[in-house]
Amino acid sequence: MSDLQLPHINYAALAPMLILFGAACAGILIEAFVPRERRYPVQLGLSLAGVVAAGVAVITQAGTRTITAGGAIAVDGPTVFLQGAILALGLVALLFVGERSLEAGGPFVAQAALIAGSEPDRRQVVRPGATEVYPLMLFAIGGMELFVAANDLLTMFVALEVFSLPLYLMCALARRRRLLSQEAALKYFLLGSYSSGFFLFGIALIYGFAGRVDFAGIHAAALGSDRSNALLYGGLALLSIGLLFKAAAAPFHVWTPDVYQGAPTPVTGFMAACTKVAAFGALLRVLYVAFDRVSWDYRPVLGVVAILTMLVGAVFAVTQTDLKRLLAYSSIANAGYLLVGVLAMSKDGLSSSMFYLVAYGFTVLAAFGTLTLVRDADGEANHLSRWAGLGRRSPVFAAAFTFLLLAFAGIPLTSGFTSKFAVFAAALDDGQTWLVVAGVITSMVLAFPYLRVVVMMWLSEPAESTPTVSIPGVLTSTGLAIGVAATLVLGLVPAPLLDLSTKAAEFVR
Amino acid sequence: MTVSDVLLLGLGAVAVGAALLVVTTRHLVRAGLYLVVALGAVAGIYLVLAAELVAWVQVLIYVGAVVVLLLFAVMLTRAPIGPSEDLDRPGWPALLVGGGSGLGLAALLVDAYRWSTVDRDQVGDAQRLGTEIFRSWVLPFEVLSVLLLAALVGAIVVSRPEVGRARPRPPDRGER
Repeated sequence: MSDLQLPHINYAALAPMLILFGAACAGILIEAFVPRERRYPVQLGLSLAGVVAAGVAVITQAGTRTITAGGAIAVDGPTVFLQGAILALGLVALLFVGERSLEAGGPFVAQAALIAGSEPDRRQVVRPGATEVYPLMLFAIGGMELFVAANDLLTMFVALEVFSLPLYLMCALARRRRLLSQEAALKYFLLGSYSSGFFLFGIALIYGFAGRVDFAGIHAAALGSDRSNALLYGGLALLSIGLLFKAAAAPFHVWTPDVYQGAPTPVTGFMAACTKVAAFGALLRVLYVAFDRVSWDYRPVLGVVAILTMLVGAVFAVTQTDLKRLLAYSSIANAGYLLVGVLAMSKDGLSSSMFYLVAYGFTVLAAFGTLTLVRDADGEANHLSRWAGLGRRSPVFAAAFTFLLLAFAGIPLTSGFTSKFAVFAAALDDGQTWLVVAGVITSMVLAFPYLRVVVMMWLSEPAESTPTVSIPGVLTSTGLAIGVAATLVLGLVPAPLLDLSTKAAEFVR
Repeated sequence: MTVSDVLLLGLGAVAVGAALLVVTTRHLVRAGLYLVVALGAVAGIYLVLAAELVAWVQVLIYVGAVVVLLLFAVMLTRAPIGPSEDLDRPGWPALLVGGGSGLGLAALLVDAYRWSTVDRDQVGDAQRLGTEIFRSWVLPFEVLSVLLLAALVGAIVVSRPEVGRARPRPPDRGER
């Protein structure tokens, strides 16, 4: 077999993923050989070092525009920007995941599948926690890096599975409320595999249409193929279902509140921030690179999806009494706003969507980080009524959370305002007025649940049962500081990041 | 109509019929066995289309491993073997989604291809597949091994027997 030509591989372009997967494999070896008591600092240090090293590797790729590894990977502006965003957000999420001072042994258990409430399960709940979550998290981040860089549908599907499988598992590892956590993981897994099936069938139909699965090939075939266009549209629809499921857009959002509520809160923050970046990164690439020639045909359909997503998120957020569920519906609504940016189908749309992803990611991470601090004897107290009067008890904490909620509501001087403004401006420039009108109306509806929490925290009297706010450890404090600072800075001086995203906003084909 | 047409039609009918039985039967074990028939028929279709490696992989992985795993899971969890009367969830939402997408896709494919023909001059044997994988699809192939590794860790997280059962319970550090 001397005639076998191996594709040229640009290892520098693959370095971020190689580093992350290598660190994950090293983490598994540590699980096997390092004594239990010493694993936690080693694993945490390795994960942080891996993410930082991958970040450095991404930064060195700035300005690269290349397609490598046999056409499987495209490294261009959006890839580098989104990979950097995933790593930055993943680093902050890792800080929350690594926190152990709030709960003896950290928020995770070792075995996901023990019957909840059984004797072994109760034993593992009081035991110092497991460290399997770190390699799983590195696998997930590595998969996301690959997902936003994938240049053909098969690579994209493999990456989708690489980051989904660890996420399913991480959902089941919560130390408190074990049954809810397992239910969340199972729901996410079953619905996730169903949506993967749609994605895969979409690939089959696209292959039937174009005879190829790489984006440049699909782009070329969309101009004219001897196959029926029904294959193209059907394939695109099925692909979109798979991607919109991960992005938590209606009507594929039903898993979101349950999974966000049941998963350990640091993992929920990770999913809300990083999975969103990955899903929208891939959606942007699929729509802008492969299917841009048929954008006039799918735009109305995806526009309806966007409006439905915003409506569902906003309306249901009003009725929630659990803070995690409230933030889950808010994350659904935000998927809708992001879709508005995506559908602008212009350079501005691309850059504003990428900016939105970063701004929203930091805010939502900090919000879920604060949720881990309000605790009573049963763990986190997430019910809305329990937060009454918290502003009187711990004003600094309540002020920070109020600021984050105002950012979600899109009040000026926060990153929530600048990012929404950028997305809506891009859509208006492109004549998508109907989407912007829906976006503004739902934003106003969505402000109500946020402000209700704010009013409750500051204007109610603290009750006997008001939980305490734990003093955060170093890791959580750092994470919270980064999240709040990013929300503030991106609100006050958004120009540097906006410039960066505008400069990066060009796909390679 | 050639022999392969007849074979394809027959195998397709078997696959669809068995698949229908999988979702309509009330016996869990029978559902698993019908699944063998359905997947086997699909393997037969691959064979008729001259994709021999894919056919044998289908038999090995799906008929061999997946269904056996399924049956073992039923056996080991002491799930009811007979008809399960507690399968009383209303079936219409599943019928709507499953039937809708199935029929929709069938209609789409029929409409897309109509009577057009596709040449089948190349044989999908192992050599051709291997060349293709290691020439154009190296990276996805390697990433798949990472995926398997992640799944393996996951399986250990889910199922590892309790380590250190005999050890004394570590002192509770208590919660702040």
